Amino acid sequence: MELAASRLIAADRAAVWAALNDPAVLQAAIPGCSELTGTPEEGFEAVVTQKIGPVKATFRGAVTLSEVVEGESYRIAGEGKGGAAGFAKGGARVRLSDAEGGTQLDYEVEASVGGKLAQLGSRLIDGVARRLADQFFDNLQAQLAPDVAAAEAEAVEVAEAVDEAEAGKETKGWFARLRS
Amino acid sequence: MARDFGIGASSKRREDVRFLTGKGRYTDDFNRPGQTHVAFLRSQVAHGRILSINTAAAEAMPGVLQVFTAADFADAGGLPCGWQVTDRFGNVMQEPKHPVLADGKVRHVGEPIVAVVAETLDQARDAAEAIEVEIEELPAVMDMRAALAEDAPKVHDDLTSNLCFDWGFVEENKAKVGEAFARAHHVTTLDLINNRLVPNPMEPRVALAEYDAAGDSYTLYTTSQNPHVIRLLMGAFVLNIPEHRLRVVAPDVGGGFGAKIYHYAEEAFCTRAAQMVGRPVKWTSTRAEAFMSDAHGRDHVTRIELALDENGKFLALRTDTLANMGAYLSTFAPAVPTWLHGTLMAGNYTTPLIYVNVKAIFTNTVPVDAYRGAGRPEATYQLERVIDKAAREMGIDPIELRRRNFIQPEQFPYQTPVAVVYDTGNYQATMDRVVEMTDYHNFEARRAESAARGKLRGFGIAHYIEACGIAPSNLVGQLGARAGLYESATVRVNATGSITVFTGSHSHGQGHETTFAQVVADMIGIPESQIEIAHGDTANTPMGMGTYGSRSIAVGGSAMVKATNKIIAKAKKIAAHLLEASEGDIELKDGKFSVAGTDRSVDWSGVTLAAYVPHNYPLEDLEPGLEETAFYDPSNFTYPSGAYACEVEVDPDTGKVEILSFAAADDFGNVINPMIVEGQVHGGLAQGIGQALLEVAVYDDEGQLLTGSYMDYAMPRADDLPMYQVDHSCQTPCTHNPLGVKGCGEAGAIGSPPAVVNAVIDALQRGGHDHVTHLDMPLTPSRVWAAMQR
Amino acid sequence: MSKVTLTVNGRTVTREIEGRTLLVQLLREGLGLTGTHVGCDTSQCGACLVHVNGQAVKSCSIFAAELEGAEVRTIEGMANRDGSLSVIQQAFQDCHGLQCGFCTPGMVMSAAALLQDNPRPTEAEVRHHLEGNLCRCTGYHNIVKAIMAASGQDVAMAAE
Repeated sequence: MELAASRLIAADRAAVWAALNDPAVLQAAIPGCSELTGTPEEGFEAVVTQKIGPVKATFRGAVTLSEVVEGESYRIAGEGKGGAAGFAKGGARVRLSDAEGGTQLDYEVEASVGGKLAQLGSRLIDGVARRLADQFFDNLQAQLAPDVAAAEAEAVEVAEAVDEAEAGKETKGWFARLRS
Repeated sequence: MARDFGIGASSKRREDVRFLTGKGRYTDDFNRPGQTHVAFLRSQVAHGRILSINTAAAEAMPGVLQVFTAADFADAGGLPCGWQVTDRFGNVMQEPKHPVLADGKVRHVGEPIVAVVAETLDQARDAAEAIEVEIEELPAVMDMRAALAEDAPKVHDDLTSNLCFDWGFVEENKAKVGEAFARAHHVTTLDLINNRLVPNPMEPRVALAEYDAAGDSYTLYTTSQNPHVIRLLMGAFVLNIPEHRLRVVAPDVGGGFGAKIYHYAEEAFCTRAAQMVGRPVKWTSTRAEAFMSDAHGRDHVTRIELALDENGKFLALRTDTLANMGAYLSTFAPAVPTWLHGTLMAGNYTTPLIYVNVKAIFTNTVPVDAYRGAGRPEATYQLERVIDKAAREMGIDPIELRRRNFIQPEQFPYQTPVAVVYDTGNYQATMDRVVEMTDYHNFEARRAESAARGKLRGFGIAHYIEACGIAPSNLVGQLGARAGLYESATVRVNATGSITVFTGSHSHGQGHETTFAQVVADMIGIPESQIEIAHGDTANTPMGMGTYGSRSIAVGGSAMVKATNKIIAKAKKIAAHLLEASEGDIELKDGKFSVAGTDRSVDWSGVTLAAYVPHNYPLEDLEPGLEETAFYDPSNFTYPSGAYACEVEVDPDTGKVEILSFAAADDFGNVINPMIVEGQVHGGLAQGIGQALLEVAVYDDEGQLLTGSYMDYAMPRADDLPMYQVDHSCQTPCTHNPLGVKGCGEAGAIGSPPAVVNAVIDALQRGGHDHVTHLDMPLTPSRVWAAMQR
Repeated sequence: MSKVTLTVNGRTVTREIEGRTLLVQLLREGLGLTGTHVGCDTSQCGACLVHVNGQAVKSCSIFAAELEGAEVRTIEGMANRDGSLSVIQQAFQDCHGLQCGFCTPGMVMSAAALLQDNPRPTEAEVRHHLEGNLCRCTGYHNIVKAIMAASGQDVAMAAE
């Protein structure tokens, strides 16, 4: 699963960058995150509860930041183990740039799941990842500039799924991965 | 030949009454006193090294009796493979050990690593969740071509590569085939994939084992198509239990389709654990476990080439196949892409030169083995697709091209260039029949009518041959089988004349209890209700090889005929004594023994009573009692064949394929119970149409099984399928078994995929999409629609 | 643990159950009614289909604790009072609408629910109704035929 999109956050770049490195803000922004400890330098430990299709699980795992360009971009990656439910791993490359009205945030996410999650929920991963990404940035926006968050929500750009399969095909989730 | 009983009658199935009233006895319906339950912790990654396993927390949990890892099976053998293939250089295949629980490495998602035995299933599952397994993930070997690269990661570190074997057949013909291609008028080439399938019998697998310490003996109840084979493989190769201390029971089994032939890890686990825990141990597969632990089917990638002369006569055929074995060799896996596949590449045709190359490859997927048809659907699909493509390229009607190349009725017995000898057949007759059934000559009018509604209509034909009644032990032994493939039967006549037949064949839906009784009733001339068929328990049936490869009536039925003939011979001697006549003058008709040319007679029960109450009995010549056992080992396979035709409509807006009609004209030789035979064909057709239109097992690049439930694996449903037209009036009886039967269980699944795909390609071509010469199965709306967009 | 009292095939039964006990577990393990089968874990195969208060219900998707006072009917309660096969059961045997028999109880229960609501369904209606019941043996042909026959219709006519 790969997903790329961009968002306008109504806050200046320094504030957005600081937020993206603050465990408290990240915990509040990551949907279903009940614990997030650690530092950007040492990495974080996170506990996240998510429901993907019929499988609801609590994932525990490490989150690391790499390829950090101070104030501009980083790569955030994590792998969570959900016991019998399986595992999820993924990462996102996040880039900030100045824009009218705040900061433009471009991101590319890739995610994969294993075990029962793959068996029962893989076809839902694209949709779930898109929803989680949207929620994450909504939450981030709310943390940074609560008053504009509501108005901005209306103007969310539609995320574009970049599937490996031919664009324009009427495919969803795993269907796109059929070796045709 | 409408008779109300015996051979040829559509007797209603006696087993139905218990199934229809909820009284069937499937393995999961059995529970033993003191029974415990097992939950398996299975690998979530496709390939990895096991670094550590911590079971301490699990062992301390409520209800947990014992936690098992590979260390507990250190003295056990691996799950054996029953067929050894020799490659084209004379070397035997690479054969890795298949441990009961993963040992050192995990090699596919779903491989069992740890097993927890607890008082209740919930306790076992809860404890399995508390086990910590640390695995270093390794790159998964998924793509078969990539698996052959020099630097590819290896599924098995101790093998030289991921190549199990490189098989050539017939190797001596290779050069001659090449020469024939060089001088051919036309060569048609086709690259295709035979999609990976999950067999999915509706009853998931179950194993329930108990140990009797007093007798140091074991009983395993299991969902098996061949309990004796499980007893042999597990007893002799895995757990070292002598056969007389091991009883295997396969009661009512809810479908198999191949998936329940093999010896699985869970059977060996429960059997060993029952002894170690000292209580019965039960495992019932969930459907999720079934998807990732039942052997899958098909999964071949093939290039096939056909050389033709200017008149469309086939000159030579060459195929190259990559066959996925999965992570380990399942019980019969190596036989499927080789001897069950290469030997059928002549099809119904006189192609004089054939060369088949098959490379079998290990990947990080569930093992692949025989699934309904096993090798023969793969052969038929390639052949019938390439012939269709050749017909289009040369501008010859596909039916006509086939007819020009058919083996003619007077050519039987026919020696093919791929080892086998077909005994009988009449392919023109089945082709004629299907053309008649489908009203082919009026197709154009129907097509125009569809076109007027904006739909693309197509007609597809396929003609198949299969080798059934698997079979001759001396032959399969030469080909690498590590077992004999005879069948056995004991016919026990009771004092009052009723009969119990113990057969080594196993019924898991085929209706043996009815069909086999019909045969014996017919031979003796007594009502079917007097005859009981017993099967599925090694404690009371003679050594048998079970049911697969459409072998039950052809091999098991023949063993029963042989035993019944022995019974009749002895009964005649008794009758001769009772009637004070010469044995040669005794005739048996309608359950009565009479002296030829006289009105003196004694009925069946009179003779059977004398056998067990020998007051007036030729004791000096004969033993009392009336019970006989026979083993039957045929001299050849049987060769059913048939013509299948499919008519489809494609919706150009959505790509959806609708099957408007499907006709099957089969030659099964003689037919015992037409109703049951037709039912077998229906079921095979549904699985073949399912393969063609709906089903595929999909793994992602990391080896995760993405189609692991009925939400993602498209099982054919009632409204995906049409009413079928089936016909078995063309009959060329088998010449070498006593019933003249050929077997019908797999035919539907063999002939239907190419018929469906040929029909869809025909619809697209007639609809103006000339560029679409092939589509890989399943022909989902998205695939068909995408093909039309170019 | 809690107590639930319900009627199964006309007999009133009371059992101690856990909150997570499914109806199918109560039937199979608690009451020994093993005619109701489990063929999947995602409520799709229909092998566990029974009637609850006259409605077709997949017994793997309902908690036993919810069924206080309910009337449940299973395959074991489908035969005629004298033990002979009911019209639907008999039609399945006559038409060879079953092979391995594993999906059969769910099919019969599903068919009974259909014919109760729609006594003379078309072939298409029968097929549509069976969407939630998987059979791997019969290819559905003879199941459809049996249900049509049970409704007093000849499938050959309906099919053409």
